[in-house]
Amino acid sequence: MAVSTGEHVLATVQQRGQAALGRLGLPTRKQEAWRLTNLSRLEAVARMPVNGVATASDAPPCLDGVVRLVLDGVNDPLEGVTLPEGLTPLEPKELELALGHTLDRCGLSDDWLVEFNHASAQQLLALRVCGTVPPLEITMAAASGLIPTRVLLVVEEKAQLELLQVFSGRGEAAHSHLMEVHLGQEAQLNHGVLACADGVAALFAQLAVEQEPRSTYNFTSVVQGWSLGRIEPRVVQVDGQASTTLKGLAVADLEQQLAVHTWVCFEGPDGELDQLQKCLAAGRSHTIFNGAINVPRKAQRTNAAQLSRNLLLSDRARVDTKPELEIVADDVRCAHGATVSQLQEDELFYLRSRGIGASDAAALLLRGACQEVVDLLPTHASAWRPLERVLEGLAS
Amino acid sequence: MIRPDAELLLDITDLHASVEDQPILKGVNLQVRSGEIHAVMGRNGSGKSTLSKVLAGHPAYRVTSGTVRYRGENLFELEAEERARLGVFLGFQYPVEIPGVSNLEFLRVATNARRLKQNLEELDTFDFEDHVHERLKVVQMDPAFLERSVNEGFSGGEKKRNEILQMALLEPVVAILDETDSGLDIDALRIVAGGVNQLANANNATLLITHYQRLLDEITPDYVHVMASGRILRTGGRELALELEQIGYDWVDKELAAQGVA
Amino acid sequence: MTSTSTRDLVSQPYKYGFVTEIETDKIDKGLSEEVVRLISSKKDEPEFLLNFRLKAFRHWLTLDEPDWAALGYEAIDYQDIIYYAAPKQQAKKASLDEVDPKLLETFDKLGIPLSEQKRLSNVAVDAVFDSVSIATTYKEKLAEHGVVFCSFTEAVKDHPELIEKYLGSVVASNDNYFAALNSAVFSDGSFVFIPKGVECPMELSTYFRINSGDTGQFERTLIVAEEGASVSYLEGCTAPMFDTNQLHAAVVELVVLDDASIKYSTVQNWYAGDENGVGGIYNFVTKRGQCRGARSRISWTQVETGSAITWKYPSCVLQGADSVGEFYSVALTNNCQQADTGTKMIHVGPRTRSTIVSKGISAGRSSNSYRGLVQMGPGAKGARNYSQCDSMLIGDQAAANTYPYIRSQQPQAAIEHEASTCRISEDQLFYLQSRGIGFEEAVSMMVSGFCRDVFNQLPMEFAAEADKLLALKLEGSVG
Repeated sequence: MAVSTGEHVLATVQQRGQAALGRLGLPTRKQEAWRLTNLSRLEAVARMPVNGVATASDAPPCLDGVVRLVLDGVNDPLEGVTLPEGLTPLEPKELELALGHTLDRCGLSDDWLVEFNHASAQQLLALRVCGTVPPLEITMAAASGLIPTRVLLVVEEKAQLELLQVFSGRGEAAHSHLMEVHLGQEAQLNHGVLACADGVAALFAQLAVEQEPRSTYNFTSVVQGWSLGRIEPRVVQVDGQASTTLKGLAVADLEQQLAVHTWVCFEGPDGELDQLQKCLAAGRSHTIFNGAINVPRKAQRTNAAQLSRNLLLSDRARVDTKPELEIVADDVRCAHGATVSQLQEDELFYLRSRGIGASDAAALLLRGACQEVVDLLPTHASAWRPLERVLEGLAS
Repeated sequence: MIRPDAELLLDITDLHASVEDQPILKGVNLQVRSGEIHAVMGRNGSGKSTLSKVLAGHPAYRVTSGTVRYRGENLFELEAEERARLGVFLGFQYPVEIPGVSNLEFLRVATNARRLKQNLEELDTFDFEDHVHERLKVVQMDPAFLERSVNEGFSGGEKKRNEILQMALLEPVVAILDETDSGLDIDALRIVAGGVNQLANANNATLLITHYQRLLDEITPDYVHVMASGRILRTGGRELALELEQIGYDWVDKELAAQGVA
Repeated sequence: MTSTSTRDLVSQPYKYGFVTEIETDKIDKGLSEEVVRLISSKKDEPEFLLNFRLKAFRHWLTLDEPDWAALGYEAIDYQDIIYYAAPKQQAKKASLDEVDPKLLETFDKLGIPLSEQKRLSNVAVDAVFDSVSIATTYKEKLAEHGVVFCSFTEAVKDHPELIEKYLGSVVASNDNYFAALNSAVFSDGSFVFIPKGVECPMELSTYFRINSGDTGQFERTLIVAEEGASVSYLEGCTAPMFDTNQLHAAVVELVVLDDASIKYSTVQNWYAGDENGVGGIYNFVTKRGQCRGARSRISWTQVETGSAITWKYPSCVLQGADSVGEFYSVALTNNCQQADTGTKMIHVGPRTRSTIVSKGISAGRSSNSYRGLVQMGPGAKGARNYSQCDSMLIGDQAAANTYPYIRSQQPQAAIEHEASTCRISEDQLFYLQSRGIGFEEAVSMMVSGFCRDVFNQLPMEFAAEADKLLALKLEGSVG
């Protein structure tokens, strides 16, 4: 029993999780958070055998200087890996204190997805980051059955990390992923998530982030090709005064359903949020965005901006977007905007008037729309050819 | 330069067009031959801009009657991109910004589409870079603009120069420049005009849509047409532009009234 | 702020808080099928209407009260309410001379004089006292134009075929909990019918006055504009101050046919409860307009300042091609009020357009939520929506929440939504004061400025009222 997996810590978590699931039952349409979800697909995932097959997949060779860890839900990801200076596994005592702490801060108790992961996860990766470390890559592949994974990151004061998580999925497989991050004062984390699948696999990924004052969290997610995808980044600035950037690109085609549910809470003054979510729905797919922002009384001088941009690429696709702002502090700047449209006629015409054919023009515009977010992934994401993957996934 | 036996590039006959069910062009007649420079002037709302968009094939505009032949072919049977590849170029009044699409990439794709139609070889990335650097000189543009997204963050003058740069790359047969001079200071205007003059030759033609006479100080037109209420009211030589400068457009109302048109 | 910075939560005393002593015909508390039949018989209704009520009542019994809104309120005991109370005057009086003078005096005090000499000359008023219409001015003049404007009860007697045709066609009784309740026990309201091609020559207005403390108020309003017709209608309301909460569950249905338009304005000044949240009206209203005809138009304009709890979402269903729906709203909450209000624009037909401008002002310890839905169905080709939701926060204890739902299935429909928050900043106040403008007036100017886009939509007579009303409601809450 390797220390880094925290197996015995997870054992109690598993028990509680299973009990909670029994109590909660499956989500229903009556619950606002699940009102639009394709519940039959959810049920299918809930019934998948745990610890399915995690193939090595077609991962590109790891770039020089990048530390790659593979999570398959069973084996110790740190076995045989020499961690660079600054990256250390958490000691069991620290683990007991830290595990679940951020989940609580982010209001994630009695949440079905969290309990689902609690009940299923047998493997935990828990790391502490000190100083400046080489870029880190965590890969998770699923080819059959459910792969539950859990990660805990404690980023010390003033530490800096570039982290890329890559999820891939094929066939009747699903990911249940839960990640907690604690950012110490003046710490900086550039976090990218690249999740592309073949249109059949499912993805549930929840992220809970606690930011101490003066820390910086830049999160970029690029999610495409999941028959049922749901990603839930939640961030709490425990005393404000921190900077949070959430940029996301969700691309769905065929019969896929992709949901992004974000939540940001400022528990102190002078915090900043810059959020952009782009959803592209083609074929008969359905994209959902729900962006909650909470600015209580103590969060004076918060500066938050959220933009939801949605592109409908076919007559049968559907878009749902619901920004949610709850504001009490009055000396704040909180703005949000949402648009839903198809590719802009003026832009298409401009390109066509330069001799570029209609479908090439549309492709150029789509590429540009995706590129804006894809370019924000950590630099080492380039090895995975993210833009190509996303565009390949758009059958049209 | 006017030569009566030059090829008839653009033959517009009794053109009527609407946008959102509102008739704008009400019978435009115009002939443009190879080697000529035409200026179309008129007040806002006269239909000048609409004419340019209709010729380029903008989907929001509907042709209700009339014909346009481009080098003998029915222009309206061609899709917008076909017209462009065959050498019809529209310089927009308000070039749109396209964030995320690289200027260099866009220019290369457009250039190659045109070259294909001209039976020339496509240029690969390296050859194109050389090719475009040559053309940058025509508009005195900084190569840094190639790295940016199409027109994103460009000033008004920079956008117009980007249009002329495209002209230099695409080598159109008929270039329709819609108020290319609007919003430009005199220096920018000179650069843009210089580019147009450099590119004009005996085998192509330019249609300048303009509100003010000052562009015509820099580019000498062979014909000047005055448009009002969706039609060309009067045609003359250079002097007509100078006359308009002096007396303005008020006489247009009188003439329209005399013709019994609103 | 300067020395006037005590957060004084006492607003100007609600000057409509008086009660009129008048004999009222009430039935016992409680709701059952017998009560529904009793109400119908007291009003001498035809069979179709009794059946309408019974069907709705039976459906209501099967429903659960909704609880999703961001409100917290004490559960309403539906058996502890009186469902019918009418001032004891017999038939609707032919002439105002015959109306109980105490009733006329009531409306006088409310600033809605009904007598010939004093009434507003360009506004026809239907005065409703405790859900019973007691007088309608200018009926004959309107009848000359073919316009029908009368109480709902009268409409059932005089135009039953119109009622039967249109009642429940926009808000079905099974639409929601309160619509079902209303459909079962509604007492009275206004009926407006504008025939083909007629532009109603005057503003029409219904003024609701709640008087009894323990009755529920269930008005039903139906406005129909036939092809090419148009009308501007204003709804005003006040109620006395009571210690207990009162339930107001109204239903308003609007129908516009080809090229017709209805402008529906509301200036709502119910009793909001005292500064500690005791008393006040529970206002749950279902208002919906159906743009059935091509190029038809419905405009909702509202200024909400009262009511302890508000739950209303005036909506437009845009069926006819090129039809237009508009929603302009100012919602002010102060002290302990809670408002959950907004609009639904359902685009069904092609090239339909909707505009939403919502201004929320949150002061005191109140909670002001905007909940909107913009939906583009597959048939809404070329449709457009533009929404703007702005919140003004006064003080740091009030909440402004915005929940704009957007759903679309039509790529050729464009939706644009923006929202922002602001406050009355010390710098801005000081600037105005340094130019000689008093504190209260400066606040009032800034709030008016914030609401300008909406006030511009109100009929002229009421725009000035709205300004004053807001100023009144906000007194003492800034500083």
